Amino acid sequence: MIETRLGEFEEVILLLVGILGEEAYAFRIAEEFESQTSRSVSIGAVHSTLTRLEEKGFVNSAMGQSTAERGGRRKRIYSITAYGRRALEAAMDFRLSLWRQYPAFSGKVNYGLS
Amino acid sequence: MRKNPPRRAQRLLLWFLREDLAEEVLGDMAEKFALMVAKKSAFRAKLNYWYQVLNYIRPFAFRKSRKYFNHYAMLENYFKIGWRNMSKQKTYSSIKVGGFALGIAACLTIALFIRNELSYDTNYPNGDRIYRVVEQYTEKGKMMRGVHLPAPAGPAIKQDYPEIDLVARINPVELFGAGSNDVRADGTIENTNEDGFVWSDPEFLQMLDATFIYGNARSALTEPNSMVITKSKADKYFPEQDPIGKLMIVANDQSQPYKIGGVIADFPVTSHFNYSFFMTLSGKEFGRGEQTNWRNSNYPTYVVLHPGADPVALEKKLSMLGEKYYLPMMIESGFPNAKEEIKNLSYKLQPIDEIYLNELDVRDGLNHGDIRFLWLAGAVAVFILLIACINFINLSTAKSANRAKEVGLRKVVGSFRKNLIGQFLSESVLFTFFSFLLGLAIAALSFPMFNTLVGRTMVFPWHEWWLFPMIITGSIVVGFIAGIYPSFYLSAFRPIDVLKGKIARGSKNPLTRNVLVVFQFTTSIVLVISTFVIYRQMQHILTTRVGFEKDQVVMIQGANMLGDKIKTFKEELLRQPNVQHVTISDYLPIRGTKRNGNSFVNEGKRGVDDGLGGQFWLVDNDYLKTLGIRVAQGRDFSPDMPTDNEAAIINQTMARELGLTDPVGKRIENWKKWTIIGVVEDFNFESIKEKVRPLCMVLGNSPSIVSVKANSTDMSGTLESISKVWRQFAPHQPIRYTFMNESYARMYEDVERMGRIFTTFAVLAIIVACLGLFGLSSFIVEQRSKEISIRLVLGASMNSIVQMLTRNFVKLVLISFVIAAPIAWYLMQKWLQDFVQKVDITWDLFLVAGLLALVIALVTVSYQAIRAAVMSPVNSLKSE
Repeated sequence: MIETRLGEFEEVILLLVGILGEEAYAFRIAEEFESQTSRSVSIGAVHSTLTRLEEKGFVNSAMGQSTAERGGRRKRIYSITAYGRRALEAAMDFRLSLWRQYPAFSGKVNYGLS
Repeated sequence: MRKNPPRRAQRLLLWFLREDLAEEVLGDMAEKFALMVAKKSAFRAKLNYWYQVLNYIRPFAFRKSRKYFNHYAMLENYFKIGWRNMSKQKTYSSIKVGGFALGIAACLTIALFIRNELSYDTNYPNGDRIYRVVEQYTEKGKMMRGVHLPAPAGPAIKQDYPEIDLVARINPVELFGAGSNDVRADGTIENTNEDGFVWSDPEFLQMLDATFIYGNARSALTEPNSMVITKSKADKYFPEQDPIGKLMIVANDQSQPYKIGGVIADFPVTSHFNYSFFMTLSGKEFGRGEQTNWRNSNYPTYVVLHPGADPVALEKKLSMLGEKYYLPMMIESGFPNAKEEIKNLSYKLQPIDEIYLNELDVRDGLNHGDIRFLWLAGAVAVFILLIACINFINLSTAKSANRAKEVGLRKVVGSFRKNLIGQFLSESVLFTFFSFLLGLAIAALSFPMFNTLVGRTMVFPWHEWWLFPMIITGSIVVGFIAGIYPSFYLSAFRPIDVLKGKIARGSKNPLTRNVLVVFQFTTSIVLVISTFVIYRQMQHILTTRVGFEKDQVVMIQGANMLGDKIKTFKEELLRQPNVQHVTISDYLPIRGTKRNGNSFVNEGKRGVDDGLGGQFWLVDNDYLKTLGIRVAQGRDFSPDMPTDNEAAIINQTMARELGLTDPVGKRIENWKKWTIIGVVEDFNFESIKEKVRPLCMVLGNSPSIVSVKANSTDMSGTLESISKVWRQFAPHQPIRYTFMNESYARMYEDVERMGRIFTTFAVLAIIVACLGLFGLSSFIVEQRSKEISIRLVLGASMNSIVQMLTRNFVKLVLISFVIAAPIAWYLMQKWLQDFVQKVDITWDLFLVAGLLALVIALVTVSYQAIRAAVMSPVNSLKSE
């Protein structure tokens, strides 16, 4: 059976795949992760997560262009599937509902989302 | 530097990486590498490349088919067959694995213990250059080694020998206020008694490179009356504040507070320094001229050599100290043959990490480990592991019949012998690996108990990097050792014999198996006999007449804080109904109480005779009565005799060594003349392992310990009334007391501990050996089940069946006993040599040990035998 829950790291990676669009391949995602979170991560860790996301059906992948600095090797571009988008939305809704139930914040914080 | 990714890393990556991933991964890595070269440096980029490669070691990225792993399928098959065999025969497997695990657990815990004992004082940064100065004095051909040097010796050494970088002295002598003291922070009322006070030179903490939490090594102790305390004490007395500059009152002495100059991290448990309060020696003098006096020796002295200096050469040069400094002092005091005497003095530099195990037998009053005990423990560990290995070998070869067909078939379809050996070895490694894991679990679970057993506070090394590599290598090595014989044995079967059914029933009683069983039982019996002897010796020590009565005596400590009121306190105590006698004296025949060595001669012989080293104790009128020490000649001190202030009572040893045949009325002198009024029977006041030494007691004031002898066995009632009196006198100070018999027993903790350790491991050895025996006997019963059934059908009695099955084992145990008895006798004889008072090793010990082994073996074996004998014969005959 394939696990269909979305972990925290997986959620971030999935979002980054969405943000990067055509440029969403393991190295770029890892770089983007590091610059956005200022936490370090290895390409291997990102790659392994991407593979898992693909197994769960949240992303698709296809081989893309090659460049000179890659030594003429092609990259694997990932893109979010409709199912992946739904999973992201569900995750956000869940977070928001939790935030709203937290008395210290309820009514005071406006996310500009809802 | 070349700007290419490191080739080795790339090769590693390609070795394990799935082929279909290679292109994208290498591409990503190349991009990362280029970026790193541009942003940082080529070196950082390469480092990062390695990091990235290692981070690709994740299951998703691995090759699925291992075509690089040649014999993978074969090995898989070996392990599979091994696993099936293991799960098919649950009893045998659990005996094999369980026994092995027990052996491994025992071995592991003992190894950790030994490692702990060897790790004392090994972690000082300059540890290889730190030495303790040991003074050696040869007297009547016997070398005595001590560490207490005169106060000026340290500075003199520093001045005279340029190859010494640093000299530091400490003074741990109780007479000077080191040891245990009442202490409180200034501004509080209640005292707490703490151990671990020591006077120390400012350089001492610098030498050990102590970690300072507050303050620094350079200035912490330079100011007179400053003190450095450890972190735990700082937390206790000055919680959550910087204690530097704060004052502490030591020994209730308001006039001389100590200023905290620094806080250091606590010393590790594996350090021979167990001090917590370092009072500075800077500007300190204990009496006038004490710091320049070569007559009194109270200072253990440590030195740091210059890098590259030769300690052996320096030791020779240090002997000059005698002629240069001691000789003038000795001549001045009118020593006879001073020039000759001084030649007996020499010095040794003892590396700091050798202090704890004390192989030089230096008298330093510290707690020591015992190297011989470590050897013994190590040997026991190895033997237990061997016993476990033997179980493995015996059970594997015994069950060979079950594997014979498999061997035959494998050979027929083309297996070489070498493959079969490989198979059985890998199976044995598999078994061992499981055993190691189980053994690790057992060891970890029983570790707290083991710690109590050996009296240490070790931590199980989960966090150490070597643990898991060690388990892997351990299981491979031990697996090989245990598996080598069975695998050669099993792989030697000839297919034709096997398939014809010749070996189907297995071998009945091969010699090897019997020899191995004998070995197991010999070891076990030796351990059992040793345990008996050690126990008996321990009982002997604890119950033997030591010359004083230690039962029903309560020692009240810290009574010096009562000051002048102590006399009234004593009178008040005597008024209590249960109290028989009370004495005030810090000098007691219990280790840890005060000692004071003096040199004695007969009157007028100072400078003529050699001085006799002896203890000089201050006691009071009721001392002998309270401790029940018997007067052999003369009389006890008496309050009615005013002249008793100049009177002394000596023990028989002193009378003998001074050559006094009729000592009463004679006079002796140390620094003053005393008239002997009585001689007491010798009583042990040091370790019972040693001979009683000379002792002289006079009336005097030493008010720290009040000993109370109760005349009823109701100790709790007595304590109640003692505490009540104490509260009247010292409302702010909780009472501290110990029972003398308990303190005495604590002196022999090491012997007791050894007894407990031996018992544990002897039991363990027997259990492992019996597990093997159990397996063997059940195998034999199974093998002969048809024969037994037929015998039963033909009318054999149950008795005769059991006899038939057990006879061989009984024979083996008897042989083991015959071998074990002399070995055990020899070993224990050696061990007992250390004790002055020793038990006899009597024949009944051997008898009991032998019978015990026999009974245990019989019970183990007959369980199977009886089961076979009461079984209905139909069951085993109906098949076929």
